[in-house]
Amino acid sequence: MKETRISVDRVMKYIILGLIIAFVVVLMVFMSGSNRPFEEVQSEVEKSFDASEMKEQDSAAIKRNFGLNAADYAGTAYYSAESTISASEVLLIRIKSDDQIKEITDAIDKRIESRKNDFGDYLPEQAGLLDNAKQSVRGAYVFYAVSPDADAYLKAFNSSL
Amino acid sequence: MLFSSITFLFMFLPVVLAVYYIVPYKIKNIVLLLASLFFYAWGEPVYVILMILSILFNYFCGRDIHSYAEDPQRAKLSVAFAVVMNLLILGFFKYYGFLLETVNAVFSTDFSYRELPLPIGISFYTFQALSYILDIYRKKAEPQKNILYFALYISMFPQLIAGPIIRYADIEDQLRRRRINMTKIGQGAMLFITGLAKKAVIANTAGAVFEGISESPAGSLSALTAWIGVFSYAFQIYYDFSGYSDMALGLGKMFGFEFQKNFDYPYVSKSVTEFWRRWHISLSSWFREYVYIPLGGNRCSVSRNIFNLMVVWTLTGMWHGAAWNFVAWGVYYGVILVMEKYVWGASLDEMPAAVRHIYTGVIVLVGWVFFFSPSLGYSLRYLLAMIGGGAGIADAHGVFLLYTHWLLYLLAVAGASSFGIRVIRSVIRMFRGRAVRTAAASVIYMGIFLTAVAFLVTDTFNPFLYFRF
Repeated sequence: MKETRISVDRVMKYIILGLIIAFVVVLMVFMSGSNRPFEEVQSEVEKSFDASEMKEQDSAAIKRNFGLNAADYAGTAYYSAESTISASEVLLIRIKSDDQIKEITDAIDKRIESRKNDFGDYLPEQAGLLDNAKQSVRGAYVFYAVSPDADAYLKAFNSSL
Repeated sequence: MLFSSITFLFMFLPVVLAVYYIVPYKIKNIVLLLASLFFYAWGEPVYVILMILSILFNYFCGRDIHSYAEDPQRAKLSVAFAVVMNLLILGFFKYYGFLLETVNAVFSTDFSYRELPLPIGISFYTFQALSYILDIYRKKAEPQKNILYFALYISMFPQLIAGPIIRYADIEDQLRRRRINMTKIGQGAMLFITGLAKKAVIANTAGAVFEGISESPAGSLSALTAWIGVFSYAFQIYYDFSGYSDMALGLGKMFGFEFQKNFDYPYVSKSVTEFWRRWHISLSSWFREYVYIPLGGNRCSVSRNIFNLMVVWTLTGMWHGAAWNFVAWGVYYGVILVMEKYVWGASLDEMPAAVRHIYTGVIVLVGWVFFFSPSLGYSLRYLLAMIGGGAGIADAHGVFLLYTHWLLYLLAVAGASSFGIRVIRSVIRMFRGRAVRTAAASVIYMGIFLTAVAFLVTDTFNPFLYFRF
């Protein structure tokens, strides 16, 4: 009887180890970032935009719209629609340390809420885009996009890593 | 979730304490376990799965090692397997990117790699799990039969994220049976409030000064500003980490546990050896118990003892992070401790106390430069600035910082020895009668608590420094 229990323990430790390995593989496929330089990732993401629709903004705009200091991060890129009646925007940040992720995701959530208030019933289709905003944290990269083509932008971001 | 967040202070903690005290004794551990998993999942909704798998893995490993009690050879293989797997998991998340970066730098290769964020607290809970399986192997503890109790040992929220690292043998009995009474709850609350104030009032303020200074290139700092920077960092890391440890110990007491203290006024030390007996005591004890002594400790030849010390301190440096500056920091302390033991320790003991304090202070501050620097090059430039090789001896920036923060430094110096707590105790003792003293203590600590909360609500997001380790 004792032998049976002992074998169960031994088998279980190998099964759990297998699950840990499987879990890490899943993380690597779906959650990992990469050590690719920021400029390369930015360039890949940029290629997915319609240049006539989105314009790159400076760090002052990041501060104004998200309350984040671009200098605190390893890399930042922010694009927004030239038209004031469009909610479209894309933010890409490479962090310096893991503890910066939360401040960025909090800032993005705040931005979405604020933009929803701006558009509200006035431009419901733009408010709808905000409901479908895409956010992704992959390793050291944080990505956020609001656009009718947000899915394509996110795909470009994922494949750029 | 941070101990110093409003969500934790005014929602999570009161609810958990209320439920914990109300439920029957038999299910208190389950309540605490569920609260701990929720606490971790709040900040790490994905990595909570990794922690649960790690708990299960080590639970079954512990039972497996114990099953070979009569077969030392197989027990050794089983424990080696468990240790290697734990270290591989920790190493993968913490050192894999560092390793490839190093290979790229040394061999001029261009390996790209996928990187994952470091799971919060993984260094702490892995070391606790290792302590469990090693204690079982060394027959210092029995394997935990109740998997929920074992899960609680690994995941208990007061010390899950930044320690102290609790050895299984020290807490085994408390998991089964512990006393909860009003005295312990009161003492725990006072300790928690003290830690909160250390973090919110002193660590965060000193951290803001340091951050401002470290944003400038090291070469542009005057000696005065560079010294203010390193003093600010020394106060920040001490009050941040010892504040967290006080909160952990205080919370533990409120739940009926007694954890060993993690700090004992390290900045009053008169030697570096003494400093490390007082700083992050649980980590030093862990390395002494599970690495230094098994390697032979000091019951061996001088050369072997030096080797043992250097191994322990290199590992201590690496434990703190995957970067060469941490390795340099560990080796730096290894060399100093070897020197104190075999070269100048005896002479140091003969010197006046003031000289010994200054000697220890300078060595520790130089050590912090290696610790906070993003690269070895930066640390050398910063050290050069400290001796005037940057922008001269003093500048208006340094004088301004001193003028605007003198009260902070006064508080920080007072609190770095037992002087601060003795003042508070003396004030409480001025009142006569137990009931009056209790009321006075309540008012004083409530004042400290409200002050800390006032600092927190006006502060930006400010996680504990040791979360990243």
